[in-house]
Amino acid sequence: MQDEHQDDDIPRGPARELWRRLYRFALAWPRHLRRVVVFALAVAVADMSFPLVSKYLVDALTAWQTGEAEKPSLWPYALAYLGLTLMLCVSVFGFIRNVGFLKTAMAADIRSQGFARLQRLEFAFFDRRATGWLMSRLTSDCERLANIMAWGTLDMLWASTFLVGIASVLLWLHWKLGLLVLTVVPLLAWASRAFQKRLLTASRRIRKINSAITADYNETIMGVVTTKSFSQEDTHLGQFAVKAAEMRHETVRNAMLSALYLPTVLSIGSVAAAFVMYKGGLDVTRYGLSLGTLVAFLSYTRQMFEPLQQLAHIFGEMQMARASGERILDLLGRPAAIVDSEEVLAAKARAAAAPIDGRADDGLPSRLGRIEYDGVGFAYDSGQASQAKVLHDIDLVVEPGQMVALVGSTGGGKTTLVSLLARFYEATEGEIRFDGVPQKRRSLSWLQSRLGVVLQDPYLFRGSIADNIRYGRLDADPADIERVAALVGATGFIERLEGGFQFDVGEGGTRLSQGERQLISFARALLKDPEVLIMDEATANVDSETERLIQQGLETVLDGRTSFVIAHRLSTIERADVIVVIEAGRIVEQGNHRELMRQRGRYYELHQHQGQQAAGLQLSDWTA
Amino acid sequence: MNPPPSPQSLAPVRAGLWSLSQGQRLRYLLAIVCMAIGIGLVFLVPAVTKGVIDGLPSDPGPFQSPDWLSRLCTSLGIDSPTTGPLMVAAICVVLLTVAGGAFQYLRGRLAAQAAEKMLERLRVHLYRHIQNLPAGYFDQADTGDIVQRCTSDVDTVRLFLSTQVVEIGRALLLVGCALPILFQLDVRLAWISLAVVPVLMVYAAGFFKSLTRYFRESDEAEGAMTAVLQENLTGIRVVRAFGRQDFEERKFDEANGHHRQATLNLMNLLSLFWSCSDFLCLGQVGLTLFAGGHFVLQGDMTLGTLVAFTQYSTMIIWPVRHMGRVLVDAGKARVSLRRLAEILESPEEQELREAPATVPAQPRGALVVRDLSFAYPGEKGPGAPVLQDLSFELQPGQTLALVGPPGSGKSTFVRLLLGLYDYTGPGGAGSIQLDGLELSRWPLRELRLQVSAVLQSPFLFAKTITGNLLVGRPGAAAEDLRQAAEAAHIHQAIEGFEHGYDTVVGERGVTLSGGQKQRMAIARALLKDCPLLLLDDALSAVDHATEQRIRQTLLRRAGRQSTVIISHRLTSVLHADQILVLREGRVVERGTHQELLARKGSYAHLWDLQSSYTTDSAEGSAEGLAQDPAGKPA
Repeated sequence: MQDEHQDDDIPRGPARELWRRLYRFALAWPRHLRRVVVFALAVAVADMSFPLVSKYLVDALTAWQTGEAEKPSLWPYALAYLGLTLMLCVSVFGFIRNVGFLKTAMAADIRSQGFARLQRLEFAFFDRRATGWLMSRLTSDCERLANIMAWGTLDMLWASTFLVGIASVLLWLHWKLGLLVLTVVPLLAWASRAFQKRLLTASRRIRKINSAITADYNETIMGVVTTKSFSQEDTHLGQFAVKAAEMRHETVRNAMLSALYLPTVLSIGSVAAAFVMYKGGLDVTRYGLSLGTLVAFLSYTRQMFEPLQQLAHIFGEMQMARASGERILDLLGRPAAIVDSEEVLAAKARAAAAPIDGRADDGLPSRLGRIEYDGVGFAYDSGQASQAKVLHDIDLVVEPGQMVALVGSTGGGKTTLVSLLARFYEATEGEIRFDGVPQKRRSLSWLQSRLGVVLQDPYLFRGSIADNIRYGRLDADPADIERVAALVGATGFIERLEGGFQFDVGEGGTRLSQGERQLISFARALLKDPEVLIMDEATANVDSETERLIQQGLETVLDGRTSFVIAHRLSTIERADVIVVIEAGRIVEQGNHRELMRQRGRYYELHQHQGQQAAGLQLSDWTA
Repeated sequence: MNPPPSPQSLAPVRAGLWSLSQGQRLRYLLAIVCMAIGIGLVFLVPAVTKGVIDGLPSDPGPFQSPDWLSRLCTSLGIDSPTTGPLMVAAICVVLLTVAGGAFQYLRGRLAAQAAEKMLERLRVHLYRHIQNLPAGYFDQADTGDIVQRCTSDVDTVRLFLSTQVVEIGRALLLVGCALPILFQLDVRLAWISLAVVPVLMVYAAGFFKSLTRYFRESDEAEGAMTAVLQENLTGIRVVRAFGRQDFEERKFDEANGHHRQATLNLMNLLSLFWSCSDFLCLGQVGLTLFAGGHFVLQGDMTLGTLVAFTQYSTMIIWPVRHMGRVLVDAGKARVSLRRLAEILESPEEQELREAPATVPAQPRGALVVRDLSFAYPGEKGPGAPVLQDLSFELQPGQTLALVGPPGSGKSTFVRLLLGLYDYTGPGGAGSIQLDGLELSRWPLRELRLQVSAVLQSPFLFAKTITGNLLVGRPGAAAEDLRQAAEAAHIHQAIEGFEHGYDTVVGERGVTLSGGQKQRMAIARALLKDCPLLLLDDALSAVDHATEQRIRQTLLRRAGRQSTVIISHRLTSVLHADQILVLREGRVVERGTHQELLARKGSYAHLWDLQSSYTTDSAEGSAEGLAQDPAGKPA
């Protein structure tokens, strides 16, 4: 299976620890938990009392028929029966209501925490995981777990209490025969263990394939246009069908194990019953064991079967839940790699206690100021032993208000360099400093508030254009939104759309063209009014005229702001204060346009290329 | 998106389920038979026990073996009076349980096999259908919602198929066995013991309606929640870039809360349902008990009959009560199936097209477009026109370039050429002919075999690089892949990865830069050998030097392949045989590069903009370095 490597990192701790951590979610609702127990007890009491009513009624009728008693009245029995019925119904009502509440509350809590955790995890976590894999954990895994935790636990408690009760009665009635019955317990335990191990393995596989299938559905929708344009439907269907068949295979295997488990437990139990029947029968004929005791013994042994069956069933389900629980706890317990350090947190606490004007939430100046890269290196954690280094020894100083342009071949590390600034990834070597303060000593919230990033891939959220621009500053009013839209030259196309700023862009912004999405994404970043603006190919998909309009708008916007610009059209970057040429993860040249042109190095080469193309190549006749 | 299911819309659901069960019905039947045998065998155990107890003396003495046991012992050749029969009886208990267990196992196995086979079919069917839905469908739908339907709703159906189908058989079996006995025992009491059944049925049926409604609400809330989750995960980089984690958490918590409330409503309804149905069932048992007691007191009935009666009527009432559970699950399954049917009933793209005509024998990539107009379908009919009166002709082997500002309709034209949207629908007009055949008459598969496209935001599948390249030409040799990668200037980068061509890319693969992704897409498109190549801003994230080299490769192919190229870098389009400048969906200028320059219109203006820096500085680099580049007019 191609996805084999994907889930190897899911820890498989001991079951006790797992359940302990999971039951904390139930303990968060102590009132409902208590009610569940009370109602469950009431259900049990009512359930057990029903046979008593019929028994007393039949006894009374028998007594009357044999002439031992008066003709009985049915009313007291009927009333007792009615009372019990009402009690049972009310308890069932209360029980289901509260268990239902616990179940939904637990599922919602786990989801909410899982989602919050996802918001804190670093980019690198998402680079290696398919959206569908993560989705399945918060949807189907979560649902399954909460379900079994709520309904299964109680059944299990009930069943085990019942079992212990029967065992005590048996020992009390006739300890020798009792012990004989209990000899099968180790056998049962051993069989259960063996089955559970297999069930757990099978369940883990099923949950994993479930994730893969979820991811497949997600991917096939996300890539539907590509699939269509290459007529790859059949290939993909074939690959999916393999997974679907595997899912069936594993589920059937799991079901077969469960189906075998139950009869096995019953068969072992029947051995106990057979022992009792044989030995007890002999004792009755030889040593005068009371027949009543034997009858009681046999009926109790038979009664043992029901809780046994139930336990076997729940244990099977529990294994499924455990596999789901492991996946969820893996997410909940995963430490976020990029967080505020202890020191920063302490500073934030101090600053919150005594806020100073003009200071950030970590008590340091709110200005970001001068940016220094000092020997910065970076390697993506590829999940394998060796790591691919994408940046080496980056030394770069950017004064406040400067415009820095990053140029160089694709894959050279330009995007990574600015990603480190925003702390989307953590530099693996060296450090970045703001006005001399190391990046790690500043709070993440402060850093994010100072930066405005226009990403290479302009992802928009479902909703209106106005909502998407407002993402940059949630309290912005419509006038601000229109202002930034005009600034990036987006007003024209927005007004042509049905509903204008209220036009629904569709999931991911698919109802707009790439260029339009880029403009919206640009406007979104400008609305934030950041101190440092990072533009990663922000205008790659717009025409030069639109780009010129944007640049005119930017003139005013960028005034006094530090900015990082990644672009392939050199025209965009000639006016940069610092041009950094990056090749294969290293800075090969650095300086302004004039200096670099004079050096006649790599930048000059790049420049000549474009110059030639623009100026001279129309002469050559390629069109022939 | 989610029209409330109308009663008549259930028919296709039922039909769908029925057709899914093809080939599995026998398995289900066998499972029910196995279950019946299993239950029968297990029921024999108490009979054996009873025989043994009846035969035991109350004081020490010989064991009075029941007839069947004595005969069994004789036939087995056992003649010891007490030990033998007791031993045989004990062994019988074990054997009966084991045999019963074996049938129970078979039942479980057969039911699981049948249910899972049906589910596998359902999953594959869904997957296939989703792939074949028109692209426009996904503009309206939430990915997360579709995924939720394909997983969660399928799971609900699974629960019903794997557990309840056999349970229905079991209930019917028990009722079928117990009913004749009841009527044989006492006809009057038999009718009384059935009194509540119709009430229960009516009650359950009445409940069914609100139950399905509540479940649908809960299910839809789950779909909405999944959609929020999916969108957040897909756009997680934007969330981070804006530090909007708290905002997103609130958004999710809201959806999560809705789902929670909807599920809680369902649970509350269920608690009412169960307690009431318990009341009815227990009432039934009580009614039988006390009516019987009354008959006994009147002397109309023996006590033994009453005891037997109560036992048998319990055998009826609990399966009937269990039918309540079946009904609940059936209600859920029905809602889920309805939601799945909403996907499955959306027509596939090919179904929406005209009857396909015969494909030209040797497609050469000749394109004739006449007065083409198009508007995307919206909720209230077609939206604003995106393309208006576009006309041009492209000879085989020629290159056509489209330039223009964002939203001028360039990408839309590419989508139309790929048959992703239909220009013959309400928002469209005019004609596109590929090799003399109207595009709408081409079978989609055939059409897309003729066209190779590099789209604006390339999508790579979560596979190895080799796997992604093979998408372009399945079965291509490793050497071909390498050549294509070299032509797209991605070969070197691939070699730089630790696992080379076996590196996994896509959603959970290595991080490729935007330019690398584009070049992968180009390599993939180059592998596909076909008469028409579409490049939609395919090199925007690639540096100029690389772009030029790739362009040269493409030019070498010129003549073999007609090309439609969209680019904002005019250097990419200047060699085109024909350049169309689009603005707001209309052609404002057309001609070759030279003609357009000579016209001094908007193309010339764009050209000036793009070449001003470069030409100036390239010319000026020798002498004009004193010029301040930062002071250049923008």
